[in-house]
Amino acid sequence: MNKTYHLLTGLHFAVCTLAMIWPGALIANRIEPTVLGLPFLFFWYILWMLILFVGMWIAYVVRHGGGRHE
Amino acid sequence: MWFATGVVAMNDSIIVVGITLTYLALVLWVGLRARGQKNSSLEGYVAGGRHVGVVILFFILGAEIFSAFAFLGAPGWSYQHGAPAFYILAYLSLIPITIWAMGPRVAKLGRERGYLTQGDMIADHYQSKSLGMLAGIIGVLALVPYLTIQIAGAGLLFQAATDGLIPFWLGALLAFLVVAAYVFCSGLNGIGWTNLLQGIMMIVIAWFLGLSISERLYGGVGEMFSQIQLTMPEYLTMPGATGMNWGYFSTAVLVSAFGGAMWPHLFMKFYSADSGKTLRKVSVFYPLYAYLLVPLLFIGFAGILIFSDSPLERSDTVLLRMVMDVANFSPWVIGLMLSGALAAAMSTGANLAHTAAVVLVRDVAGPTMMKGASEKAVICATRWSVLGLSLIAYLFALANPSSLVLLLLGAYGLIVQLFPMVIGALFMPHLRRASVMAGALFGSLAYLLMEFAWSSPLGWHAGIWAMLLNVGVVTAWQWLVKPMFTKKTPTHSQ
Repeated sequence: MNKTYHLLTGLHFAVCTLAMIWPGALIANRIEPTVLGLPFLFFWYILWMLILFVGMWIAYVVRHGGGRHE
Repeated sequence: MWFATGVVAMNDSIIVVGITLTYLALVLWVGLRARGQKNSSLEGYVAGGRHVGVVILFFILGAEIFSAFAFLGAPGWSYQHGAPAFYILAYLSLIPITIWAMGPRVAKLGRERGYLTQGDMIADHYQSKSLGMLAGIIGVLALVPYLTIQIAGAGLLFQAATDGLIPFWLGALLAFLVVAAYVFCSGLNGIGWTNLLQGIMMIVIAWFLGLSISERLYGGVGEMFSQIQLTMPEYLTMPGATGMNWGYFSTAVLVSAFGGAMWPHLFMKFYSADSGKTLRKVSVFYPLYAYLLVPLLFIGFAGILIFSDSPLERSDTVLLRMVMDVANFSPWVIGLMLSGALAAAMSTGANLAHTAAVVLVRDVAGPTMMKGASEKAVICATRWSVLGLSLIAYLFALANPSSLVLLLLGAYGLIVQLFPMVIGALFMPHLRRASVMAGALFGSLAYLLMEFAWSSPLGWHAGIWAMLLNVGVVTAWQWLVKPMFTKKTPTHSQ
């Protein structure tokens, strides 16, 4: 469990980082379609901020959600 | 064409100044009230007694994000460059990765071994006082320009919002006297409570301004972006209006995201957490801070069309010009805006001044001039250093009018040079002190040379090259230079 856990959180972090810089953000580099009134590239950043948060939240609950241990 | 006639009348300026001074007095009162209780020890003054819970810690860390830079620099970038301003969203939301990975270990080591600064950990782990001093010097060198940004920001805000009634030098001085006063008296406790107040203030103001400006001028955020798309679509995608390449954008994000957690003022707050779990929890919510900046980017985008005929001389002033001249808000709103933005500058400034003073006294002066000084003398020296360093930054602010973003990026490039030695101390016990010291020295020197003398290869952020050199030197030294003593660096018990 420990190894898989670290692998998955590491992967999550790497994917989120690459999505926000080159080359990940290249695929989102356009204005259309607009989402929530925002140009697509702007929305892309809003979206990945949320994905990063949700992933970390899940990782937190899995690791620290139950009893109190470091 | 949308320009209102708005020159703020004298009466209005007095309302603005009145609201702002009331707010400053409130902050000062809250900050000074926090002194007392567990505050007499050095640990209390510096690390809040290591019992800071998740809510206060969230606001202490959050006030870092909402600095003068957020209110002035961020809209300035979206106004000047367009899409490249998303780098701010990217790096802010990526900072918690480093906090998540190393925060709990830092907090644990700090508790077990009584660390208060980065230099403490470095000096203890590598058994080298001079390495701790080097970390301290790099820290102070990077912190002072960062503090300068806050002071310059406060001065700029006062001057613009009161239409020159309070000039730059006086505005900067006022804001920082308030900060220095409560940090001087209350230490980290003062910072925690005032940041709670200032954090709420900033968030409300930022969202109110961002949404109401796009509503007033364009009839909504979506409408604003469609109008920009019609006339100036180059602002909405990379490489933006100024042709910023992906290489610079990406490396600036990386340097800022991973250098971010090396900042002594963030790093030292890790020690103040009551547990590693608290730190993890804070880092989970950290990406949400970046959402708070979104409305400030709207304001910059709103300025693109408004000022297309007569571009602003200083892009950092776009928020001020929008609020004051274009959107035609009442002086009450301007006063609140000024208070919110000042809150941002002051709360970050308080953290920076506090940290720089602690680092200077403990890491740099501790092993030399103040060897064997009593705890009381150390607290006293720290307090006076708060005043001294704030004063130095104030003088820099008077002399240096360059762009806030560039100052900030410059400071990040320097602070990221601590990365290898910190990671080494936390996770790689076989790294030797000579290797990390050589790496940090070469990295910092190369960085300063690239910033001030050469230009950076490929147009990337100079910090990333210096960082690569740093890691390269550490690796080479580790392999090629044989240690003079065979004794291994003592490692922490596992």
